[in-house]
Amino acid sequence: MQYMAGVSGERAGAMKAAVDVRGLSHVYDGRDGAVPALQDIDLTVPAGRFVVIVGPSGCGKTSLLMMLAGLRLPTSGTILCDGRPIAKPDPARVGVVFQEASLYPWLTAVENVEFPLVLKRAPRAERRARAEAMLRLVGLDGFGARHPHELSGGMKQRVSIARGLVQDPPVLLMDEPFAALDEQTRMTMGHELLRIWSQTAKTVVFITHSLTEAVYLADEVLVMSARPGRILDRITIDLPRPRTYQMMATEEFGRLRERIWEQIRTTP
Amino acid sequence: MRGGALVLVRLALLAAVLLLWEGLPRSGIVNPMLLPPLSDVLDALVVILGRPDVHHALGITAAEVVVAFAIAVPLGTALGVLSAENEYFGEIFRPMLFYVFSIPKSIFLPMFILVFGIGFPQKVAYAAFSTVFIVIMSASAAVESVKAEHLLVARSYGATRQQILRRVYLPSMLPILLEALRISMIFNFTGVMIAEMYASRVGIGRLIADWGENFEMAKLLAGVILLAAAAMAFNEAVRSLEARCSTWRA
Repeated sequence: MQYMAGVSGERAGAMKAAVDVRGLSHVYDGRDGAVPALQDIDLTVPAGRFVVIVGPSGCGKTSLLMMLAGLRLPTSGTILCDGRPIAKPDPARVGVVFQEASLYPWLTAVENVEFPLVLKRAPRAERRARAEAMLRLVGLDGFGARHPHELSGGMKQRVSIARGLVQDPPVLLMDEPFAALDEQTRMTMGHELLRIWSQTAKTVVFITHSLTEAVYLADEVLVMSARPGRILDRITIDLPRPRTYQMMATEEFGRLRERIWEQIRTTP
Repeated sequence: MRGGALVLVRLALLAAVLLLWEGLPRSGIVNPMLLPPLSDVLDALVVILGRPDVHHALGITAAEVVVAFAIAVPLGTALGVLSAENEYFGEIFRPMLFYVFSIPKSIFLPMFILVFGIGFPQKVAYAAFSTVFIVIMSASAAVESVKAEHLLVARSYGATRQQILRRVYLPSMLPILLEALRISMIFNFTGVMIAEMYASRVGIGRLIADWGENFEMAKLLAGVILLAAAAMAFNEAVRSLEARCSTWRA
């Protein structure tokens, strides 16, 4: 386990599973009958680990994430989160960061961040202080009063991350959070996410289409097949942490990226 | 053009129209029998505003407008939300609503007279009928404007059904609903006016129709100014509310 250097390594030492998925399958009713979407997914994510899931469009990545979030029920199999089953959304255990445009445009940045606490009926002063602290963490100090349309794409996703973290859940699920951003912003946001991750000690399950993003962020990359989605390969990314942009130019980085691409490319 | 200059040009245009209204009939270029000068119309306005029968008519018309609106808006909103939210209800009723919406409502007026007689209920029923369809359309468009990802976010943070309604549906729909309120008032007011002018014994629409038949143009135009002012006041009031509630819609 020497590859898990730095902050994540200390936490991984405990090896307590933050997310534990056993024999998960999902079949949904399509127009032409039952469609198998996910098949025999086994997934164990130790606490503090950063896991990235990649796979072709329509492979059920998002379905899997919805189930981890308790937003959708699997047809069979079990999902444990922090040792207990997930049957409905439980924001104290699992925070979700969605794709772009998931912020409420009628709320300001700080009101968006405190939204989960409003639902919990937390006292006003307490939730405002907590939301402000989260905005500071994601580097948006002083932007709390702005509405989403006054923020750039990257800033909006920082707000989304702050909202996902506001209840301090041990697990953070991220569904292609940077997909709509331009390349430079995307790189910056990936780097920022790693900084936030190392400061908050969360377990992250992150979905992306970008192989570079996957290798750059992950402790482990899971490659999924086309429908019905299965886990084809688990690739440990043993690049040292903290990650730097320079690593992207290394041979090791290219080799890992190539291996993931081979898996996706050669599987029908 | 800068804001200040724009306002000046608009005011100048308004002043020009009012001046022409005064000048053309006075100089005889326009027949003053057909278009009395503005000053005569304003005199007539003062006169009719002092008449008890006009007060009575205004009271009746206002009551008809308010009651018809109070029926059409909640009813239309409920039906609109239902047809957008309930798939079964929507599939059955939506095509029918679209067809009926396209028909000019005034052709049903004789039927309303046969059913309700001539009077308050007929005016209210007809005005509510001519308004309810636009409310249904707008309310169902408002529901459909609620974004799926916004609902998903709320659910993922454990929102109850009631919290989703209050914190996602309502703020999403509010700008469209306010706009609907404004537009339905136009339909509603028109409905009451048509019903009064077509057949009635009382109401400001009746008086305006009478003034027209008796060729009392100054009073007729005074009535027009009065109603136009009332309609514009309501419209602008809702519009300012709309602007305040939709600053986030950039």
